[in-house]
Amino acid sequence: MKSKRSFLVQLQILTKRMTLRVVRRPLAELPNLIISAFFLFVYDGALGGVFGGNASGTPFDFANGNFVNFILPVSIVSASLSGAASGIYLVEDIESGVFKRYQSMPISRWAIILAPMNVGAFRVLLQAGLILLIGKFIGADPAVGNVGFLIVLSIAFIWGMGFAGYSVAAGVKSGSSQGAQAATFLFFPAIFLAPTFVPREALKGWLETAAAYNPTTYVIEGMRSVMVQGWEPDVLFRGYLSACLFAAITLTFAVISARKATEKA
Amino acid sequence: MLAVDVKNIKKTFISKQDTVEAVKDVSFHVKQGEIFGLLGPNGAGKSTTILMLTTLLSITEGSASILGIDVATKDKEVREKIGVALQDTGIDNLLTGHELFFTTCRLWGYSKKDSEVRTNELLELVGLTEAADRRVKTYSGGMKRRLDLGLSLVHSPEILFLDEPTTGLDPGSRRVLWDEIKRLRNNGVTVILTTQYLEEADELADRIAIIDEGLVVAEGTSDELKASIGGDVITFAFNHNDDLKNAKNILTNSVQEKNELRITVEDGASRIPGYLKDLSNQGVEVSSVSANKPTLDDVFLEVTGYRLEGSESSQQAKQKSKR
Ligand SMILES: Nc1ncnc2c1ncn2[C@@H]1O[C@H](COP(=O)(O)OP(=O)(O)OP(=O)(O)O)[C@@H](O)[C@H]1O
Ligand SMILES: [Mg+2]
Repeated sequence: MKSKRSFLVQLQILTKRMTLRVVRRPLAELPNLIISAFFLFVYDGALGGVFGGNASGTPFDFANGNFVNFILPVSIVSASLSGAASGIYLVEDIESGVFKRYQSMPISRWAIILAPMNVGAFRVLLQAGLILLIGKFIGADPAVGNVGFLIVLSIAFIWGMGFAGYSVAAGVKSGSSQGAQAATFLFFPAIFLAPTFVPREALKGWLETAAAYNPTTYVIEGMRSVMVQGWEPDVLFRGYLSACLFAAITLTFAVISARKATEKA
Repeated sequence: MLAVDVKNIKKTFISKQDTVEAVKDVSFHVKQGEIFGLLGPNGAGKSTTILMLTTLLSITEGSASILGIDVATKDKEVREKIGVALQDTGIDNLLTGHELFFTTCRLWGYSKKDSEVRTNELLELVGLTEAADRRVKTYSGGMKRRLDLGLSLVHSPEILFLDEPTTGLDPGSRRVLWDEIKRLRNNGVTVILTTQYLEEADELADRIAIIDEGLVVAEGTSDELKASIGGDVITFAFNHNDDLKNAKNILTNSVQEKNELRITVEDGASRIPGYLKDLSNQGVEVSSVSANKPTLDDVFLEVTGYRLEGSESSQQAKQKSKR
């Protein structure tokens, strides 16, 4: 009666189960989505007038006449933070004992850990996708054409998986969902110690230095290049590279800590 | 072949703060088709033992095998054979009973169609058919325990580990679970359960190991354990403290519990007149006296030096006799 259990089938079953958990708590999706949309509307409303079309011909015309294009990457970076839910999902299972139950069954431990990562990835795509849609609706218009949206989404995805890895590592390490939740505090330095509202050239002093060391800077600049300037391979490459490096580092930590967690004490 | 064979296992937890010897030396074996009870107080090492046998904790020293398969080296094979319901029920509150069973069936490798059939079978078995489409969050404690038991049965395991399956249940729900466990045993499943309830061990387990502070201090059937004490327990009760004190001096081999004295002797009933005479000669007034076969409670007192909390006698006895 029992058929062979492959890793992929297990991963699919566990991902589906985890997705059900997310769907059952739709309200949990809202805060991050609202904050991201909030950035878009409020900053566009507050600064769009100054740095948007009116700025043309002035030294402040860094948005090339469309401030939505300029600020959208900030919203997207904020939306990609939703990947941090992965760690929270995983730790919830550890706390509830579900994790132990799975461990007592002949299931691949990687399937147990990858399932919440999968769902975190979906979540990033969904939230970033929604923000892009809103952005398009209020006038975002990538300098490189619509393919720009896809490029932005792909960078957001990698960046979001970086947050997922970070939250899994932090959650497993602290063993509590608060630990995983604390991961989201990264948000503040990541977003505000970066050329969020103006280009890096306009930052000064310590903030300029901090931004130079903040990988978010390059991610935002990479996204901005396709939104505002057009094809700038080196800037775009730096964006992908920062996102990939960040993701590689945090995912490595996630794997190490998750392996420890699934090892027998 | 033995269902479970445990040889001198030991578990030491080492952390920065301190070292805990949770299990010092535990050995026992379980035959196929029996219910084996691990009886012990809080902190005795019951859960730690179960976690080691179910491959969730490594064994520091010693060895254990399940149906002849070594637990330490062949953990994957062992997991195929066993069903596990841990003390902290690993239950997903956001899903419904039906979804939980279905997911677990799928994880055990059943096809979608077979999973549906098996899910309904198990829901029926543990009496959750009506509540199947409700989220588990809304289940009572008893329902969650039954769900937990059901989830451990999905793959029809030959060996079932239950860590305190009835803790926190009312007597009615407890009885329902006992009947279910007995029915499983009658169908050939070997059950290893832990409990801190004497009645549960007495009623349910074919054989019992009493575990205390990480050591097995007695093992056998309930009757064997009771017989091991030898003879009967004579209980003297007193209305006045002075009488109790004097009687204690006279009955030198007695053990005090609250306002009672107990003596374990062969052929208790015929010894009572003699004791009563000795006591009345010294002017001690006895309010009541009785001779009984020893209970598991008495066995526990004998082998550990204190009574199990929640049993008829007090916790004071525990502290006193431990000093
Ligand atoms: N991971 C751990 N690290 C350190 N000490 C532990 C750990 N797990 C258990 N212990 C200690 O080991 C001892 C035995 O614990 P265990 O959980 O096995 O007892 P138990 O018999 O199941 O008790 P209870 O009836 O309360 O469930 C306790 O003193 C406990 O504090
Ligand atoms: Mg326990």
